[in-house]
Amino acid sequence: MKRIYHLLGLSLVALGALFAYTQGQKPLDPFEEAMRQRQMYLETFGVLPGELYVEEGKELFYRKGPSGKTLEACDFGKGPGVLEGAYAQLPKYFPDSKRVEDLETRIYTCMQTVQGYKPQEIKRDEVRAITAYVASFSSKARMQVVPKHPAELAMYNLGRELWYWRAGNRDMNCASCHDRYAGRRVRLSPLRSPSQGLGSEWPAYRFEADKLYTMQDRIAFCYESIGIPKPAYYSESYIALTVYILAEATKAGHSFEELPFFTR
Amino acid sequence: MKRKGILVVGLLLLGLGLSQVGPFRARLEAAVRDGGTEFARVMLAQDKAQALCTQYRDKLPADLIPTFLAEQRALIQYPEGGKLMGDWRKGQEIFTDPRRGNCYACHSGDPDEVAYGTIGPDLRGYGASRGQGEAVQRYVYEVVYNAWAYFPCSLMYRGGVQGHFTPEEAAHIVAFLLDPESPVNRRSK
Repeated sequence: MKRIYHLLGLSLVALGALFAYTQGQKPLDPFEEAMRQRQMYLETFGVLPGELYVEEGKELFYRKGPSGKTLEACDFGKGPGVLEGAYAQLPKYFPDSKRVEDLETRIYTCMQTVQGYKPQEIKRDEVRAITAYVASFSSKARMQVVPKHPAELAMYNLGRELWYWRAGNRDMNCASCHDRYAGRRVRLSPLRSPSQGLGSEWPAYRFEADKLYTMQDRIAFCYESIGIPKPAYYSESYIALTVYILAEATKAGHSFEELPFFTR
Repeated sequence: MKRKGILVVGLLLLGLGLSQVGPFRARLEAAVRDGGTEFARVMLAQDKAQALCTQYRDKLPADLIPTFLAEQRALIQYPEGGKLMGDWRKGQEIFTDPRRGNCYACHSGDPDEVAYGTIGPDLRGYGASRGQGEAVQRYVYEVVYNAWAYFPCSLMYRGGVQGHFTPEEAAHIVAFLLDPESPVNRRSK
């Protein structure tokens, strides 16, 4: 219900943004624009879209699966049911699944192994909402992705290689934009390097898309915009790239934004 | 006789050794395949130049550059009749279209366009300040068609080589940048 109400209002906000954009003489600063939109949301609805996703995620978190268990029985790295700061140290190696998992993949795993869902029963939008809920417990937390386990180090190395991997009919990779031209703009979008804190804003509500984007969604969006089909969700490329990006951001001492963040 | 035999066996073994995929490469390919067939197909279809840029992190060693440039130059095709400056209006469409040139992602062009990137050189007034001489036309044409023939491993993708536009269309883009009537040049200064 809340979703419909917020969608209705959104079309008004979007119209206003379009008007402002077409009337603008100089390029809009995307960060200022996002903050203005955020303020409009708060004033119009008294609630941010991200908070609605968090609420939805909370309900799903406490929903019993076919096994009768909720996600309270899932270990996100700090023990079953411990959510405080859990997101800030993911991805990491999990002995039970014997693989390195980011939050989204961990949720996907636990919904199967703990809750008893079949893979085809797991809706991507539900995983997004649960991701928003769990990540909200790491709002403004200091990043703590430090690969130590051999499997984590291997993923870091794979992620670094993918970061430089030029492919597709646009001849691109991540580094040639994000490292070399950090601080400049693609159209109106500012570019950040991992050491400048890339990745600190996800999961986030993107008002331009009217959707919640997780880190995997954002990486998928990058791949598609450089002419490479996006990898299947929960696959290793996302996890490897996330380890690399967040480990570099951790080294530089960055913290997450208010999560879920509000962005363009 | 015997020596020849040893040499042959030795070469065979060397060939076999070199053709084996290293463990890191094998692990990377497995990770990429985990992303599905479409993703893997594109990621693992790197050409020689893309693979070199990846290997050297976009900074080619000096001794590899001459061959790299020559190979990229050889990929440039020219319009029939050799006219390197076409119709700026058609060029503007290709320059602007996100699925074709998508040039505003990185460059400015028409001063009236506000949503431009700041990664590549500012192209406002490009032709007004450089003229339309034959050498300028050729340089712009070749960079537009295959930037890697001048700037190895640069971010600017090889639009002509990768089929985002034909040689005739590349000449239209040249016109958009150089033609005095093009909006790129009309409003400058």
